Amino acid sequence: MGWKEYFLAAVIVNIFQMTIAFVIFSFQGVLPLNPQGFPGLSWDLAFMQVISFATNTNLQHYNGEGNCVQLPNCSNLTGVPGAPGLSYLSQMMAVQFLQFTSAATGISVAIAMIRGFIAHAKDLGNFYVDFTRSLTRILLPLCFVASLVFVGLGVPQTLTGYERIVSTVEGATQTILVGPVASLVSIMQLGTNGGGYYGANSAYPFQNPNPASDIFQIFLMLLIPTSLCFVFGQLIGKKRESRPILWGAYALFALDLLIAFIPSFPVVGPGMEVRFGGFFSVFWTVVTTTVTTGSVNASLSGVNPLVILSAFNGMLIQATPGGEGVGLMYMVMFIVLTVFIVGLMSGRTPEYLGLKITARDVKLVMIAFLVHPVIVLIPTVLAYSTGAASAIGVGTNSIGFTKILYEFTSAAANNGSDFLGASANTPFFNVSTAIVMFLGRFAPIALLLALGGSMINRKRLITDVGVRTDSFLFSIVIVGSILVLVLLTFFPFLALGPIREFFQGHANGF
Amino acid sequence: MQTDSRDRIMATRFSRMLSVRRPALVSRRVFIDSLVRLNPLRLVANPVMLIVEITFFIVAAMAIYPEGFPSVASLALQSFYVEVALILLITVWFSTLSDALAESQAKNTANSLRRLEMEVSSKKIFMEEGSKRIVPTPSRELRKDDLILLEKSDTVPIDAQVIEGIAMVDESLLTGESTAVRKAPGDDVIGGSQVLSDTLTVKVTVNPDETFINQMIRMVESSKRPKTPNEQAVTIVLIGLTAIFTILIGALLGVSLVLSLAADLSVLIALYVCLLPTTIGALLPSIGLSGISRLYKEKIVAKSGRAVETAGDTDVILLDKTGTITVGNRQAVEFVPFPGFNEKDVGEAAFLSSWHDDTPEGRSLIRLAYENGFVPKEMNSLDASEVYEFSASTRTSGVKLAGGTGFMLPKSGGTGRERGRLRRKFEPHVEGGVPIGSDEIEIIKGAPDAVKKIVKSVPADYDKIVQNISAAGDTAMALSRNREAIGIVRLRDVLKPDIKEKIMAVKVMGIRPVMITGDQPLTAKSIATEVGIDEYQPEAKPEDKYHIVKREQSETRIVAMIGDGTNDAPALAMADVGLAMNSGTQAAKEAANMVDLESNPAKIIEVVMLGKQLLMTRGAVTTFSIANDVAKYFAIMPVLFASTVPELKALNVLGLGLNTAVLSALIFNAIIIPLLIPLAMRGVTFKPSGTMTLFLKNTVIYGVGGVIVPFVGIKLIDMGISLL
Repeated sequence: MGWKEYFLAAVIVNIFQMTIAFVIFSFQGVLPLNPQGFPGLSWDLAFMQVISFATNTNLQHYNGEGNCVQLPNCSNLTGVPGAPGLSYLSQMMAVQFLQFTSAATGISVAIAMIRGFIAHAKDLGNFYVDFTRSLTRILLPLCFVASLVFVGLGVPQTLTGYERIVSTVEGATQTILVGPVASLVSIMQLGTNGGGYYGANSAYPFQNPNPASDIFQIFLMLLIPTSLCFVFGQLIGKKRESRPILWGAYALFALDLLIAFIPSFPVVGPGMEVRFGGFFSVFWTVVTTTVTTGSVNASLSGVNPLVILSAFNGMLIQATPGGEGVGLMYMVMFIVLTVFIVGLMSGRTPEYLGLKITARDVKLVMIAFLVHPVIVLIPTVLAYSTGAASAIGVGTNSIGFTKILYEFTSAAANNGSDFLGASANTPFFNVSTAIVMFLGRFAPIALLLALGGSMINRKRLITDVGVRTDSFLFSIVIVGSILVLVLLTFFPFLALGPIREFFQGHANGF
Repeated sequence: MQTDSRDRIMATRFSRMLSVRRPALVSRRVFIDSLVRLNPLRLVANPVMLIVEITFFIVAAMAIYPEGFPSVASLALQSFYVEVALILLITVWFSTLSDALAESQAKNTANSLRRLEMEVSSKKIFMEEGSKRIVPTPSRELRKDDLILLEKSDTVPIDAQVIEGIAMVDESLLTGESTAVRKAPGDDVIGGSQVLSDTLTVKVTVNPDETFINQMIRMVESSKRPKTPNEQAVTIVLIGLTAIFTILIGALLGVSLVLSLAADLSVLIALYVCLLPTTIGALLPSIGLSGISRLYKEKIVAKSGRAVETAGDTDVILLDKTGTITVGNRQAVEFVPFPGFNEKDVGEAAFLSSWHDDTPEGRSLIRLAYENGFVPKEMNSLDASEVYEFSASTRTSGVKLAGGTGFMLPKSGGTGRERGRLRRKFEPHVEGGVPIGSDEIEIIKGAPDAVKKIVKSVPADYDKIVQNISAAGDTAMALSRNREAIGIVRLRDVLKPDIKEKIMAVKVMGIRPVMITGDQPLTAKSIATEVGIDEYQPEAKPEDKYHIVKREQSETRIVAMIGDGTNDAPALAMADVGLAMNSGTQAAKEAANMVDLESNPAKIIEVVMLGKQLLMTRGAVTTFSIANDVAKYFAIMPVLFASTVPELKALNVLGLGLNTAVLSALIFNAIIIPLLIPLAMRGVTFKPSGTMTLFLKNTVIYGVGGVIVPFVGIKLIDMGISLL
């Protein structure tokens, strides 16, 4: 397939899957496997959620365990009143289904783009083949094993409805929703989706019962994005070319960790809600944004602003190593841009993998780079100017601004972690984030597929006198260039959000 | 006519002077031109600067009528607005100034060359019913295929081909070659050269606006100059960055309004302009233009800017040995006699055989013989000698001197035809083809293997001596006297000055030099080794160049080459960078993408370096411009929301004054443009080294330096302002 065909196939398949999920979400009240009797979701929430899951974002404006007001023993049940929940059918056939397909789509498009860079490739491959193989050869087998491990670690996997926990700390009894959690957790982490079974995500004991399951989930999140860095070199036949991608990604990851840990290790800040202590909570927060998974194991509201700054970094760069497949694509985008601007200084027409960078490549890369600021900054302003932010009680102070900026950054980066949660279940936030997620996902994919497509049949230079992109020093250059390019674009907004918050907290003796 | 040619000589000298003189400071004309360019309509081609000018109008409006900008401007800051507006205008002016400077510089150089092509009245031939009519026609009205008549002391009005007649033409103004060139039917004459003798009928080969010089002049008119692919790509990056920062500032204004952060529009605009890639935006046009100027100063006409950039990418460079590596003619350095003869015998024979040989090689034989005192007593009869001209089939030349009693040729040879009849073509294979009288001396000189065939007996160590000489990189020339091999002359190639260093530089930059020569392998190898070339093609035929170009290109390498002959044309056309010599044929010049007016083939190396420098300069200024933004954030962000978000004052790492920080950043942003104009015009200086080394070195200088310099610069300016 050419890039247009490939992209069209991906979009059509995705839209078809979204339609199925939309129907399930909307009509879950009358569909089977709904022992809790949850009603169907409102159209705007269903619309936003299908896009959220299909774009690998998993921003959730609902709580999976839902609202129990209509159940007889509601007073003993957990869950946020008023927030809609999901039936077993929705959790399995809509959420898990889209978590698999979106991850498979991400892997497929990344591989397709790489094919453009492979010498003698005739086309970008066939989307249907890539998609099916990603599912059957990577995601399903790995998730099967991971689910068993989770079950072994104590994560529920059942369709029996509510489970009665006999005693709580206070000695009372409590009824908690259980369901097919283990299978969902494995794909949500492995596929860098991040949408949890429960509203509290992996901070919830049934989704993340102990430190072992916590570490295993971190491992699953990093597994495929990291592996894809190696796949790149493997596929183009120059293993060393994986280096700038892998080293660059992990250097930036390390930098994020540094920013996050400087203020908070080993002290847990006041008001920080943690189950696994400061270290694991902060580490998780950095990892989940660095691979744009978006699952959480501690509430974001309590963490130090610099941890949030580090989370922003991960989501704004999106290539550290980034989400399933797309992280790799973004890294290639940054490399092409850097090779062009900085590489000119070597006195040769910039080339990457022996391919001369043309004006059209630069145009594609610049537009892909431009997508992000547009879809993050414009909705952030709109959220305030339309009064949508104040409608859900978000203020104009630095904390409020951080929340709104984070919401759209997370949506644009297809991350999915957020401050707002079910409180953002309003038509404005549902529709705006849906649009942002869709554009944040498919616009860069289209542009970077076009980049890969334009490399096909291009003359490849076998000369080895160009800039060595596989060298250690180039990896340093790429890290510097990414930091300058991304931070330049978002610095004033980060300054008004987490940085300002940090200085305020600093002044207050945080 | 005389004054005209003197003018032209002056023009040439002037342009030569330019190449050593530093560009003059801003002249009145450049100054006025830079002001005219401030017209927004003329800035459309430079979007970054156009936007800066638009922001100037906005801030100017704020200064005049702040009430018109509720909640983003305040009356108290009116004088500040005036200052900001002024700096913004100056920023744009610096940019137009740089354009005007570069263009005037390029035009000056081009004009000095254009004067070579001045309006000349020519004698156009009209054919009417079998009779010719000659009409004086200005050269600009000539068209391709017109016939013109050129008489003694006429200036050739335009490039043309000789149809009829033979004449001597002076091309020194164009090529620097001082000796007059003989032009016969089929040869090309170059516009601007002068006919010294006789009459020619020539056919015009180009339309007036297609001549090289005109093509070149067109390239400096910035508005018409097409952007090179690389320039286009850089422009896209600039437009992309501009779009990003426009969204950023728009959103920041929006955020400031919705969160009631009370940012002042002028400070926001200051941040915007500081972030915009103004430095590279301002200098990008002049970088390309001054690259072309530098080519002109080297007297090279490029048909497109693209070729110059491609030159920077060269992987393989084909160098003709003669003219590029060596000065073009071999010098005799030693006489080696065969047994039974002495050096004097050889020297005298060499003297006699070369008396009629006007080639530099022949002259060097005489010089060497003369210096050693080997002046033959037969010298007096030289005027009455019979000359065997060099012929390619025999590869020998020679002379036959009649003895005292022999018949003598008329001293001045009578007419050419008479002389010619007396000359017999030397036939080496016909036994006894040339009867030699008892007191006649016949001396033949030529290639050792050719001479070997005509001598009666070959001395035992003939081959050994020849081989030794070849192995040393020299060329052997055999001499025979009356069909007896008497000795060998050792001719040495003279290397061009600096050629070793140049080839070293080329190799260090990762470019593979390949030497092409007609010499035999041993000689070729020795020369190649001496200058440090690993690859060479000995005994090359003209089509070999084409095959080498094709082979290297099939291995995806970029090939640069030089050529002059018609049989070089296919290779020149195929090579990525083809530099033709102006002294070469029209076909070669058509096929090449650059022409060297001075016909110095070694310049191909300079062209490659210039191409690299051009790309480097563009990358360096772009990187520097983007890297500068980091410091500007730290200068302006603390001030932007000073009243509402005082916490951000913690970002004021430079400790700038709150009232002066914005102005300091803006002034730095503006002043860096003129400070970098010399860099843009001259190009980044670099020591030849590997691509990766250059890349890293420049990344540190312009990338890391680009982050640090503005911190220092803004702080200094801030300290300066606070002193005022």
